Amino acid sequence: MTYQFTANMIPLVVAALISGTLAWYTWQHRHTTGARPFVWLMAILFQWGTSYILQLAATDITTKKFWADFMFIGVVATPVAWLAFALEYTGHKTWMTRTRLILLLILPLVTMSIILTNDYHKLFRANETLAREGGYLLLKTTNGPWFWVHAAYTYILIMIGLVLIIRALLRWPAAYRGQMIWILLATLAPLIANVITIFQLLPIIIDLTPFAFTVTGVGMVYALFRHRLLDIAPLARDLVIDGMKDGMIVLDANRRIVDINPAAQNILGLSDKQQPIGKLMAEVLYQWPDLINRYRDIFEAADEITLGENEAQRWYELTLSTLRDENQLMIGQVITIRDITQRKYAENLMQESEARFRQIVENASDIIYRLDNTGHLTYANPAALHAMGYEKEEDALGKYYLDLTTPEARNKLKRTYEHQFLSKTKNTYHEFPGVATDGREVWFGQNVQLIFDGDQVVGFQALARDITAIKQAYEALRIARDQALEASRAKSQLLSKVSHELRTPLGGILGYAELLHDNTFGELNTGQKKAAHEIMESGNYLTGMVNELLDEAQIHANTTVLQESPFSPAMLLKQSTSGTEVLASKKGLKLITSLDSNLPAELRGDEHRLRQIIINLVGNAIKFTKEGSVSVQFQNADDGYWAIQVTDTGMGIPKEAQAYIFEPFRQVDNAITRDNRGIGLGLSITKQLVDLMGGRITIESEIGKGSVFTILLPININK
Amino acid sequence: MTKPLALIIEDDPQLSTIVSITLQADFEIETCTDGNAGLERLAQTIPNVVILDLNLPGASGRKILQSIRADQRLAKTRVILTTADERQAEFLRDEADITLLKPVSPAQLRELAKRLRTK
Repeated sequence: MTYQFTANMIPLVVAALISGTLAWYTWQHRHTTGARPFVWLMAILFQWGTSYILQLAATDITTKKFWADFMFIGVVATPVAWLAFALEYTGHKTWMTRTRLILLLILPLVTMSIILTNDYHKLFRANETLAREGGYLLLKTTNGPWFWVHAAYTYILIMIGLVLIIRALLRWPAAYRGQMIWILLATLAPLIANVITIFQLLPIIIDLTPFAFTVTGVGMVYALFRHRLLDIAPLARDLVIDGMKDGMIVLDANRRIVDINPAAQNILGLSDKQQPIGKLMAEVLYQWPDLINRYRDIFEAADEITLGENEAQRWYELTLSTLRDENQLMIGQVITIRDITQRKYAENLMQESEARFRQIVENASDIIYRLDNTGHLTYANPAALHAMGYEKEEDALGKYYLDLTTPEARNKLKRTYEHQFLSKTKNTYHEFPGVATDGREVWFGQNVQLIFDGDQVVGFQALARDITAIKQAYEALRIARDQALEASRAKSQLLSKVSHELRTPLGGILGYAELLHDNTFGELNTGQKKAAHEIMESGNYLTGMVNELLDEAQIHANTTVLQESPFSPAMLLKQSTSGTEVLASKKGLKLITSLDSNLPAELRGDEHRLRQIIINLVGNAIKFTKEGSVSVQFQNADDGYWAIQVTDTGMGIPKEAQAYIFEPFRQVDNAITRDNRGIGLGLSITKQLVDLMGGRITIESEIGKGSVFTILLPININK
Repeated sequence: MTKPLALIIEDDPQLSTIVSITLQADFEIETCTDGNAGLERLAQTIPNVVILDLNLPGASGRKILQSIRADQRLAKTRVILTTADERQAEFLRDEADITLLKPVSPAQLRELAKRLRTK
């Protein structure tokens, strides 16, 4: 296995090296459009070229045949790689699916296997001999039938690729013509070379195809990496510029349209037929002479313009920039037009809404103002200015908020708003005295909200009201209330004192009268006994009066506060009846008590007041009952209530009297007899106390049969 | 059999007399007209029942009541508290055996004192 390299192989070596270098170089830039299949193409050409050189250099037929076979790996793969490149470069990348790639590779693979088995059937090559010609030791072959199948396939794929590229090139704008010619030449080179080789049109004995593909590679690389005007592959330019929603127009130095994208045509209302490229801008825009005049001598601009009228009016943002060469001479202009109608609408809506809110704020009778986060006034509405005595907003702006208040209020106010600021409390209400420019003290009640920018507190916003008049009214009311309370307290204190002082002498009167009446100082005659009885009656009446007056005074002074605590109903029943039992038995009456076993063992309430109520009711019952019994029952009523029921077998209360019996100082008229002269306060006190406890008192009575007083009270179980 | 002792501490002479008369059938009676005298008497005797006014010159009824309750020697002494002040009465209700609001009915007092004695 020997090789003989000759000088005339140098062009082949150069070509192989170029394709190898291109493969490597492009690999570094494989993210450019079309680069990947290009890498493949160049790599395959490198393999082809290298194998070809080795085949030529080999000196024996076996080695030559080996390299010739090996070379065909590149030869059969080239058209497929070429097609892949052409597809990707012209924007048909998606066409080349995995399945299609495999299908395209079937025929090259068949060709390859035929080549490898050629010795058995000679389908590809026949008549292999060595011959020295023109300085090369050549493997002379005659092409078999399958060679032509392979050749046809190769041409078909190359032609498809060519058509794709030429078609794409023709769509490029004129500005890319230089690039186009390069690419066209580069693309056609392998075809021309191959045709020359196969049909031996030139007296060149070696295969030119790998050379030609190398020329293609150089041309493509130039197009890909050097000749790009917009730093993107030309196709990408089409996609980007034509796909842009913004209009773009490129003018030459004479303001002729060099390039215009569909969006710009659309905006300017140009149909596809009115091909504007090549025309003067002024010609195309004859409808808008204003526009032409406006930009006649302008080189740079960024404006908002309107096109169309009324309903059809639209807003555009127009930028004009001038392209200059290295000598600062104008070579053209680029105009971009962006439709900003939507944005304009939104802006107008915003402005309207702003104006509306401003009007509300400015006309508000409430004070509205804003401070920055250092406490300086940044906005004050007319009401605020008026309240503080400022004529103009400028006079108030920048004022420090604490300077607008009375010195006494400052510390508290400072603490309040510093706390709000630090704790980021969204809303606070605070009342404070401010000082107007004329020294007047004005009370403000204000809600203050923090103004946020994201997490950051950037200021305060206050909605305030002049509450000076309300404050004064409250102050007057407070004084009046205090005076009234004081008077009431004094009254009840006096009553309390008087009642207390009355009780002691009453003890003497009643005590002696009772002792006399009970014959303690010797037997009395009927008249004397009656007199003693009268004294007792009057004394009792007076005692009752004193008690009731005291209670009434207390209730009216609102000094009655219920002292709620847990208590045992059983104990209450026992304690409130033990004292009166003596009175009952003295009158020969039975005092019956009963306790409902369903009642909770412990209730919550003012035990003292309950005892008073029961003693009062039982006392009355005993007083107004001549014979029979008085019974006190504690029952569990429905719906969370319990009942105290005092029943007597006394004289009863007439229907019409039942209505007013609970009013102060009322008593059933005909009930005032010598036996039972009483006072009317007891039941009114009882009713007021029961009301205070959230309960109610009712009466059922029939003349001559007796009365039933029922007090319903809510069951409060101690928690 | 000697009658049980009732000590009446009451500054109002009329009331003191009335209570004395009321109880004399069932009790041996002693009377004091001010708080300090009452305390002195209590140091010397063990009454079965004390009829105690709350509002007294010298030591107050409340103080006397507390000293009785604190004194083991007087553990069996019953106290009937009489007062014109309803709130005070309520306050000491649990301390005293019986609390009566003035004016006191002699019959009622007699009955209650008898019951206390026999308890």
